[in-house]
Amino acid sequence: MSTRDSEPDWEPIVGRYLRVPIGGESCRVYIEEAGNGIPLLCLHTAGADSRQFRHLMCDESVTARFRVIAFDLPWHGKSYPPDGAFEREYRLTTAGYVETIRAMCGALRLDRPVVMGCSIGGRIVLQLAHAHGGEFRALIGLEAADHQQPWYDTAWLHRPDVHGGEVCAALVSGLLAPQSPKLHRDETLWQYKQSGPGVFRGDLYFYRVDADLRGSLGGIDTVRCPLYLLTGEYDFSCAPEDTLRTAASIPGAKVTVMREVGHFPMSENPARFREYILPVLDEIGRTHG
Amino acid sequence: MSESWQESASPDDEAVSRLRAALETFAANDAATARGRWWSGRCMVGVGNRRLLVEVVRGVPTLSELAAPLSSWDFAIVGSVRAWNALWQDPPPPGWHDLFALAKRGEMRIEGALQPFMAHLQYVKDMLSAPRHGRRRS
Repeated sequence: MSTRDSEPDWEPIVGRYLRVPIGGESCRVYIEEAGNGIPLLCLHTAGADSRQFRHLMCDESVTARFRVIAFDLPWHGKSYPPDGAFEREYRLTTAGYVETIRAMCGALRLDRPVVMGCSIGGRIVLQLAHAHGGEFRALIGLEAADHQQPWYDTAWLHRPDVHGGEVCAALVSGLLAPQSPKLHRDETLWQYKQSGPGVFRGDLYFYRVDADLRGSLGGIDTVRCPLYLLTGEYDFSCAPEDTLRTAASIPGAKVTVMREVGHFPMSENPARFREYILPVLDEIGRTHG
Repeated sequence: MSESWQESASPDDEAVSRLRAALETFAANDAATARGRWWSGRCMVGVGNRRLLVEVVRGVPTLSELAAPLSSWDFAIVGSVRAWNALWQDPPPPGWHDLFALAKRGEMRIEGALQPFMAHLQYVKDMLSAPRHGRRRS
């Protein structure tokens, strides 16, 4: 326990707010970062926020070589909806998501960052590789696939007779690996319990409706911009078969199936995740640093 | 396996016995039932060919045979014996570790009036996964 005589026990993560126009709207976006070196921009899952990457930002093996940056998408975490948008139904689209990521890279003046996204963030990484690969040093998709079969009706996520936070957390609880430590499972689910009404559902509009990328990922150049896809074996939403099928259509894409990990590798089992992600970051640093 | 199969319990019966014992332990655990304290209702559980009724009163479940015709229930969760047994393994195999994972692979059906199921989803999932932890605690 710290006392008045000891130094504060700070973590290396620093949080700030950034004013950035996105899609013609004024947004105030919350950003956390740690480390120095190659910019590594991290994209959280649907209905969650940048806290999912807190362990990565406290890992000196990563932050000694990478400037790890994570932001809360507008509507998520500590980023409010865009100014004046509170009454609007939130729906994430492919075009809007790409525009948001590119706006953040521009506003932060990131020089060919590595982008690593999970779930919806993994799906959009595929679109970035397809349409904007030259802007990135490398791309990492966690729990990423061009399409997945739906497994529930998203109408349950936002209706007055079912508690939104409770049902969102209960649904995704099955996507975590049983082996993941309880503390990290609880933290991962807590974000779903805290998410704004309809936000998770709005993200899934992108996932379920707007971003079926099957057959539309041609022309990805993995020599210019390497593409790594890592999926947990306990993820039945984006199952390893979904990622393997996707990778089979992208020459040069590198796939890893992570054992005893589910849909939230970086937050549900950070110790296990680093065993898989450190070699990927090593390779990127070695070949594209 | 015994050659006198007629004298041994069927896989269905063994699975039901395991569920029954786990729910008795679950019902006596205040921490386990607390999450369901706002719900009273009836859930039909199918285990292979067996049909059972889980009646929940303020979070405390009681398991019985669904013997009478036209018995009513709010929602039903029906799975193969191998689905339930896989769900109850510790740890369960990937893709067999959650009610929705099993439904997605066609090993389980979730039917009926689903509002109470979704409104109390974590409670129902915990209750029906209770046999996974029964052997470890005993």
